[in-house]
Amino acid sequence: MREVVTVQVGGHANFVGSHFWNFQDELLGLADDPAADAAFRAAPLDMDVLYRAGETLQGVPTYCPRLVSVGSRGSLGSLSSSGAPGLSTAASEQLNITTWSGNVTRSVAKPHGRNLFLQSLAEDQIASTSNGGSNSQKNVEDKDLVESLENSVNFWTDYTKVQYHPQSLYEMNGSWTDFEKFDNFGTAREVVSEWSQMEDMNERLRFFVEECDHIQGIQFIVDDSGGFSSVAAQFLETIADDYTNTPVLLYCVRDPVTHGSARNQRETITRSLHDAVSFSKLSSFCSLVVPIGLPTLSQSYLSPFLSIQDAKPFHSSAISAAAIHTITVPFRLQNAGPASNLAHSSGNIDIRELAHIISDQGRQNKVTALDVAMPAPSLKDGNDLWNIKSLHSLTPEISDEEEDPYSVESLVVHGVLRAGGQRASISQVKDSVCAAYECRATKPKFSHLSVSPCPLPIPLPFPSFFRSNIGRHGEIVGSHSEGTLPKGSLDVESIPMAARLRSSNAVLPFIERRSLSLQKLGVARGALGTQILRDWGFGKEEIEELSEHLLKMVRMFHPEDGLTSDSDYD
Amino acid sequence: MSIRMLNQNAEVLNKSAALHMNINAAKGLQEVLCTNLGPKGTIKMLVGGAGDIKLTKDGNTLLKEMQIQNPTAIMIARTAVAQDDSSGDGTTSTVLFIGELMKQSERCIEEGTHPRFLVDGFEVAKRATLEFLETFKTPVVMGDQPDREILKMVARTTLRTKLYEGLADQLTDIVVNAVLCIRQSDEPIDLFMVEIMHMRHKFDVDTRLIEGLVLDHGSRHPDMKRRAENCYILTANVSLEYEKSEINAGFFYSNAEQREKMVSAERRQVDERVKKIIELKNKVCSGTDKNFVVINQKGIDPPSLDLLARAGIIALRRAKRRNMERLVLACGGEAINSVDDLTEDCLGWAGLVYEHVLGEEKYTFVENVKNPHSCTILIKGPNDHTIAQIKDAVRDGLRSVKNTVEDEAVVLGAGAFEMAARKHLMDNVKKTVKGRAQLGVKAFADALLVIPKTLAENSGLDTQDVIVALENEHDRGLVVGLNHNSGEPVDPEMEGIYDNYIVKRQIINSGPIIASQLLLVDEVIRAGRNMRKPT
Ligand SMILES: Nc1ncnc2c1ncn2[C@@H]1O[C@H](COP(=O)(O)OP(=O)(O)OP(=O)(O)O)[C@@H](O)[C@H]1O
Ligand SMILES: [Mg+2]
Repeated sequence: MREVVTVQVGGHANFVGSHFWNFQDELLGLADDPAADAAFRAAPLDMDVLYRAGETLQGVPTYCPRLVSVGSRGSLGSLSSSGAPGLSTAASEQLNITTWSGNVTRSVAKPHGRNLFLQSLAEDQIASTSNGGSNSQKNVEDKDLVESLENSVNFWTDYTKVQYHPQSLYEMNGSWTDFEKFDNFGTAREVVSEWSQMEDMNERLRFFVEECDHIQGIQFIVDDSGGFSSVAAQFLETIADDYTNTPVLLYCVRDPVTHGSARNQRETITRSLHDAVSFSKLSSFCSLVVPIGLPTLSQSYLSPFLSIQDAKPFHSSAISAAAIHTITVPFRLQNAGPASNLAHSSGNIDIRELAHIISDQGRQNKVTALDVAMPAPSLKDGNDLWNIKSLHSLTPEISDEEEDPYSVESLVVHGVLRAGGQRASISQVKDSVCAAYECRATKPKFSHLSVSPCPLPIPLPFPSFFRSNIGRHGEIVGSHSEGTLPKGSLDVESIPMAARLRSSNAVLPFIERRSLSLQKLGVARGALGTQILRDWGFGKEEIEELSEHLLKMVRMFHPEDGLTSDSDYD
Repeated sequence: MSIRMLNQNAEVLNKSAALHMNINAAKGLQEVLCTNLGPKGTIKMLVGGAGDIKLTKDGNTLLKEMQIQNPTAIMIARTAVAQDDSSGDGTTSTVLFIGELMKQSERCIEEGTHPRFLVDGFEVAKRATLEFLETFKTPVVMGDQPDREILKMVARTTLRTKLYEGLADQLTDIVVNAVLCIRQSDEPIDLFMVEIMHMRHKFDVDTRLIEGLVLDHGSRHPDMKRRAENCYILTANVSLEYEKSEINAGFFYSNAEQREKMVSAERRQVDERVKKIIELKNKVCSGTDKNFVVINQKGIDPPSLDLLARAGIIALRRAKRRNMERLVLACGGEAINSVDDLTEDCLGWAGLVYEHVLGEEKYTFVENVKNPHSCTILIKGPNDHTIAQIKDAVRDGLRSVKNTVEDEAVVLGAGAFEMAARKHLMDNVKKTVKGRAQLGVKAFADALLVIPKTLAENSGLDTQDVIVALENEHDRGLVVGLNHNSGEPVDPEMEGIYDNYIVKRQIINSGPIIASQLLLVDEVIRAGRNMRKPT
């Protein structure tokens, strides 16, 4: 078993993380549930990769994510940073102070209300400890809970059902910083350097890394739309120092609403510079970087199956979380040895190998596009080709160019069904996918395939955004009929998924754009943005370094002699 | 934050409105913090929206917890926090002094004085007060054997403003001993060499000093000893785990056999490193009752742990970076980056190493070291907010001792200095100034009184009575401060109430600088839509 430690930094990253851990929590529950789909009960994924066993001070065993989550003060809503529900106002009044004999004044902030879902979660916990877990006399119907979530999610903690470790949740202190206006790379510098917050974050991470026997890598999710990308960049830099040989798989996630149009020229410049600087910084301290975040999901290729509302981070983050879940599947497949890989799963691979395949096999490019099929289409009967065209990118600003003989890909397919509705076998999936790859006009230089029978489980706290053409097991049934209400987690149990990381010249425009804007706005003589960059604390040399780093990434795409396009299959 | 960054909704206030806004902001902040001051101040319990609790009596901590939006207030808060960063104390006093300077100025301005005169007066008064401080301070001789009594008095004064007397007194010796432990002649004192650790414990509130180190992790092998005496300590920053990092780019295993070969070659390299450590252990330990402990900053994987355990070595991995430095200062030896050329000279020494387990948390104590220059203060408390508050107090205590050693001076507290300085300004300085700038000197002198006044108020005393009584004594040539229990004048020297010289210096210095900036404002650019014009 090779452990993965997860880091989440910033608002949207924690929204994504909340869904991600709900999926894992659901898998844990289903593995023990005799009534669950067989695909879940076979324990196909090794949960110890992402989770750790421990115990509380009182000796109660715990099983929690290996996670450090960094957010702004107050972003935890009604969850206290110890991971447990906080004290009630009444209880805090009872509290006696053992360190001071003089006067005491209390200042009590208005308590954050808990939505219906969190209330019922708390009730369940009380019930399961007091009367053996019978939830026969539930006050609220699940239907109401699911409905209430559509309108009552303000914080990522509003739909989380996971028990977090007391070391996991870190709230950045910066009371004089307006986190509402924490919208560019410059705003965060002071907050982090002051008050030794970086050291605290490092200590949290060290706690989780120290106990790993064979850490395979760090999975790092950052909301890079604003100041948190600067926090993440500093965090990544110390990670690179402290854990030199530990690969970091970085996801940059953005909420569609952050793509709103700029109000004036200054804002346009600021945003372009922010994008360029943060991409340059972040990408220099990781092994792979995966930008995620289309400006709209409601109008995307997902819309025939999912009715996503862009204004709800609860919705958009669910898509990114599902895709990230799929990418992590191969890190957790049991290594069954070459003989048995037909039976259980195929293509287990760890983060280091993935980074190696993607960035060392082709062009030394570590920026990859993330494509997803949600749901993944079923196999038709007979010896057919799996529909590669069902994969669509979640990475913004890339080209549609599919034909690249130097591209390197890693595809993960899990829980795919056959036309009849049964789970397809590993070898059926492999054959079908391989056949489809063989038929591509331009084959990638290298591709890797991982397959697992276990689909994405849909937990109760999940957006009701499935269209009427999605069946209980995520199969596509007929075509979507207008005017029907979207389905939620009570109607859809699981979803077959496919996701692909792709290093190809499709990502070139994404990098070029950042490189150009830094050139034009930051480096060139008389550039419009030099003052902004100076306000953010960058000196001339540092700006040139950032720009050089981007140029170097662009240069990777100009093929050198000697690169042959022999395709290699795994 | 650049004040020039214009926002869409920025609004430019005219001069007098801006001045009033500044005065109000300064007064507002003063009001929030004044109850904090001194040994009779109020502790504040802050309960967050999720029911999480912060407990503080410290101006610095409180300011950081406050959601301050007003730019003037932020500017003052920054100054006060900077004060704490550089000298570790005096945040509350700084805020009060700035607030009071603004309050005194407001009165003069209302009577028609131009702020310019006040600022000129402040400048004169500041310089005179700083000169006065040089003659007023009590020099302390810091030879090879520093005067422990005076260090203890300074530490006690500080700690008693943060914790109740019994607890403060228990910590006094601890912080003094800690600083003296890490002090090395002719080198600045690096307080990072005092590690502050905490343990959550059901009922215990207890703090102790460990001359040595406490690490917040333990060995990761079941066969390693949990307690060992007479230990050689190897402080290392060497990877003892097998990583597939040495694969050259572009190469990829073409088959399973090749993969196995790569793996075993790399494994061998790691094993070699472990063997070199074991060789050294055998060389120095065999035939004796001595033990061998490896504390590594990098990882150690299970096969390496196995080898080490079989050789009777205790090994810890992923030690904190800063502990590498501390270990060497505590135990001796050196921190090695490679296992080539290992010799006995690299090793440090500890008389006792043992593990302590609390739930899932493990601690390793490295104690009984020979000549420690690093130590650990271990705080036990029943909950996070209590621990955090004690930690803050310990930090303040350590800073006060360090300051005293470095300043080679202390200043009489309990308001004595402020009373004396005021008298000096009124009697000797004011008359040397021409014209209206005198008003500035007077405002400055009166503002100094905010310290004894607030101390009196927080003790539930009548401020008028107290100030009159103190003034009378000072007029008779006696340097007295306030007895916060009786309200009577008291000789701080007799009571052992001493403040840090550097802290006083900074308060006197930074207070008028900020106040002057706030008074001379031309216009304030203020962001925000719904701002009401102050009347
Ligand atoms: N026993 C005492 N009797 C009277 N005054 C005292 C006594 N001990 C300390 N003081 C006074 O209390 C003041 C310090 O109070 P306090 O430590 O609460 O505030 P501060 O140092 O200004 O700010 P911070 O919150 O940063 O510590 C000093 O003026 C000191 O002389
Ligand atoms: Mg103080």
